[in-house]
Amino acid sequence: MDLENTKAQMRKGILEYCILSVISRNSCYASDIIKELKEAKVIVVEGTLYPLLTRQKNSGLLSYRWEESPQGPPRKYYELTDAGREYLKELDNSWEELIDSVHLIRKGKQSTI
Amino acid sequence: MKITVSANLGGYSFNIDEDAYTELKRYLKNLEMHFAEEESSSEILSDIETRMSELFRQKLTSYKQVITIEDVREVTAILGSPEDISDNEGSTARQKFSSPGYHRMYRDPDHRIIGGVCAGVGAYWRIEPWIIRIIFVALAMAGGLGILIYLILYIVLPEARTTAQKIEMKGDPVNIHNIKESVKREFDTVRKTMKL
Repeated sequence: MDLENTKAQMRKGILEYCILSVISRNSCYASDIIKELKEAKVIVVEGTLYPLLTRQKNSGLLSYRWEESPQGPPRKYYELTDAGREYLKELDNSWEELIDSVHLIRKGKQSTI
Repeated sequence: MKITVSANLGGYSFNIDEDAYTELKRYLKNLEMHFAEEESSSEILSDIETRMSELFRQKLTSYKQVITIEDVREVTAILGSPEDISDNEGSTARQKFSSPGYHRMYRDPDHRIIGGVCAGVGAYWRIEPWIIRIIFVALAMAGGLGILIYLILYIVLPEARTTAQKIEMKGDPVNIHNIKESVKREFDTVRKTMKL
């Protein structure tokens, strides 16, 4: 067993969910998302974000628009589509469930009664 | 003194040291190969390039106008190697399959004329077998060396009987790319150490 690998697998699982959550608060461009994910320590290498964003966009969860930027070239601003909001709601639910489940398992049955 | 190269990255023009440029180019090429199977690979790559350009711009000041190899290493470390970025479980299976051991030379009984040596060699290198045959015939006529090599190969090479062996004989398309790339990488490191 490799501890770093296990940790990485855990992070990978929730990364997609975190990306959608960040975008749901405000439409934002990739570097904003990276900043938030880095502050929350859910992403290690930045490159991981881009294939995920593109996949989410291709499956209709996200859309983007080009916006002029004060410094540099125009930026891609991502926002959730209706389908994306539905999807996120589902993920929110399953995240809550997951927390409860893990909590239950870590504490053992007795303490929850 | 160093030669610099001017490169367009995400719509910005950068002056890059030559060695840094080589490093950067190799990184991007690697990424490109890694995402080759992805549906929107060009979009992913251009997004990553845009981010790179942003990170590079943060490194430049009016006193520092050229991207150095240290900058490139730093930025590529931030973005991560293609292996770090890739999140497909499938990629590990592919890596397993593409280890050089899975591409071996066999005699090809399905396309043989005499013993299947030329067909097998052709399948291994992805060359039309008749080109190999012409070479063998030419070598045979010019002193008989072709016959000797043919006999040795006939004895040394096993016949591809099972399906698995036939796949190994042809190798995987991705596989060839990987081998080429690893050979190139090895060549580059050798060249570098020779220079030093």
